[in-house]
Amino acid sequence: MTAELVQPIVAVQDITQSYGESLVIDKTSISLQGPQIVMLMGPSGCGKSTLLRMLGGVRPIGVTTPTTGQVLIDGQACTEARDDTIMIFQRYANRPDLTVWDNVALPFRFKAWAHKTSDDVWRKQVGDMIERVGLKGKEAMRPAQLSGGQNQRVAIARALVLRPRILLMDEPFGALDSHTRTEVQDLLHELHKEDPCLVVFVTHDVEEALRLGDRILLMSTHPAKIVMDAQINTSRGDRDAWLASAEARSIQDQIRSQMKTARVAADA
Amino acid sequence: MGNLFNPHYPLTSGRKRMLGIGAVLLLLAVWALVSMTGMVSPNKLPSPVAVVKAFAYLAWDGDTGQSLLSQAALASIGRIAAAGLIVIAIGIPIGIVMGSSQPINAALSPLIDPFRSAPVVALLPILVMWLGIGEVMKIVFLVIGAIVYLIPLVRDAVQAVPQTHWISARDLGATHSECIRHAVLPLAAPRIFDAVTVCVSVMWTYITVAEYVNAGQGLGQLIQNARRFSAMDQVFAGIFVIILLALLTYQGMQWARHRLFGWETEQ
Repeated sequence: MTAELVQPIVAVQDITQSYGESLVIDKTSISLQGPQIVMLMGPSGCGKSTLLRMLGGVRPIGVTTPTTGQVLIDGQACTEARDDTIMIFQRYANRPDLTVWDNVALPFRFKAWAHKTSDDVWRKQVGDMIERVGLKGKEAMRPAQLSGGQNQRVAIARALVLRPRILLMDEPFGALDSHTRTEVQDLLHELHKEDPCLVVFVTHDVEEALRLGDRILLMSTHPAKIVMDAQINTSRGDRDAWLASAEARSIQDQIRSQMKTARVAADA
Repeated sequence: MGNLFNPHYPLTSGRKRMLGIGAVLLLLAVWALVSMTGMVSPNKLPSPVAVVKAFAYLAWDGDTGQSLLSQAALASIGRIAAAGLIVIAIGIPIGIVMGSSQPINAALSPLIDPFRSAPVVALLPILVMWLGIGEVMKIVFLVIGAIVYLIPLVRDAVQAVPQTHWISARDLGATHSECIRHAVLPLAAPRIFDAVTVCVSVMWTYITVAEYVNAGQGLGQLIQNARRFSAMDQVFAGIFVIILLALLTYQGMQWARHRLFGWETEQ
């Protein structure tokens, strides 16, 4: 049994982000708290990924324009990448030359983690995590020998083996077919139930947001602002039935309508 | 005929080998025909048989009990090995640093990139003036000839690694040097290996030039001597030996690449 994590409190305060002359995010404030899955939605290019990175204390690469506002984690200003915040991408960035086991164990080659955990402990953690994501028996395989869904499981295992307090996921399942996508959504649900943490999950898929999210934040575009903040109280285990309910359809309609409005505004 | 110009048409390895051997045999037949008909003087184009005889003579001279060819080949291989080690030891670290750092790349690129299209052979007289006509000059000439290719190729290999790997390693807590070591270099390694292969091939093309100047031994010197005595059959034999050695080196490196980076072609 692992010790329970102290749950983070993330406060985004009046964040503004520009790329040169172009204002991408305009005075956005959000408060995120506790072990929940927050879905971040919005039209393509609206600044979701930028905001996601800033939640982990990372400014977009190559951007030197000063931003205003700040991100606080547990009341402390967050200005650089943190050990307790891990990011997962759509392109899972697994090392093609390493086996599944070595990919999941990769962070323990870095000084930041090698000094914190003894060899025996992290080896056991890696083995356990591979089993939890359903890749037991495939430890010696390389990424090219795995399917897209299995590769995403490797990426998830590599992130969760570090027991992050904040997990940032940038359209992680975007490249998967619908069946595999449902499988890894269920896996994320199970893993989150066993080891709760704050997950901020960027997606374009409304159904994915409704299946996984405790909360859905919808962003507008040019510049991005939060235009919708919906709480979902139905337990994740009952979501499949709930998706057919009037409440779910209403949220779905609102999201689609806001997305359409944002797209029209962006095209204008 | 329908698939003659289809780049995705699958050829069996047996068929590929047959086509390759067929092309070589065709060239030999044309060569034999041209030399047999006397269209070109034997002083300019010796027959394939004459070249084989010259090869046999160079491979083992019964009068002296020596193999001129193996001595020359060993001397050339030694020079290429020495120059190759220097090129790798200097070129790869510089290429990696340039590929990993935009400011360093911006500063060094104007000093290195133009030499890729510069006539390196034209540097030979300058090197002779600076370093004399000894062994050092020959090695330095080979090093310069190859390193101007290696550095940009290594830099490009490092820069071609998708940024996602770097970002992912950084997000997992890697320091900058760990990002380079664990996320970038392992993925750039096959391309870097290819760059070394290219440079070894380049050195085989420059070896004759390097050995034209005051070489006691070497394939370039052997060809130069044969040319001086108008022994064109020996010139051809020397050229074929260089081609053969370059080909063997290339095949050896391809084999090593497959062993080292087999994961690239895994499915």
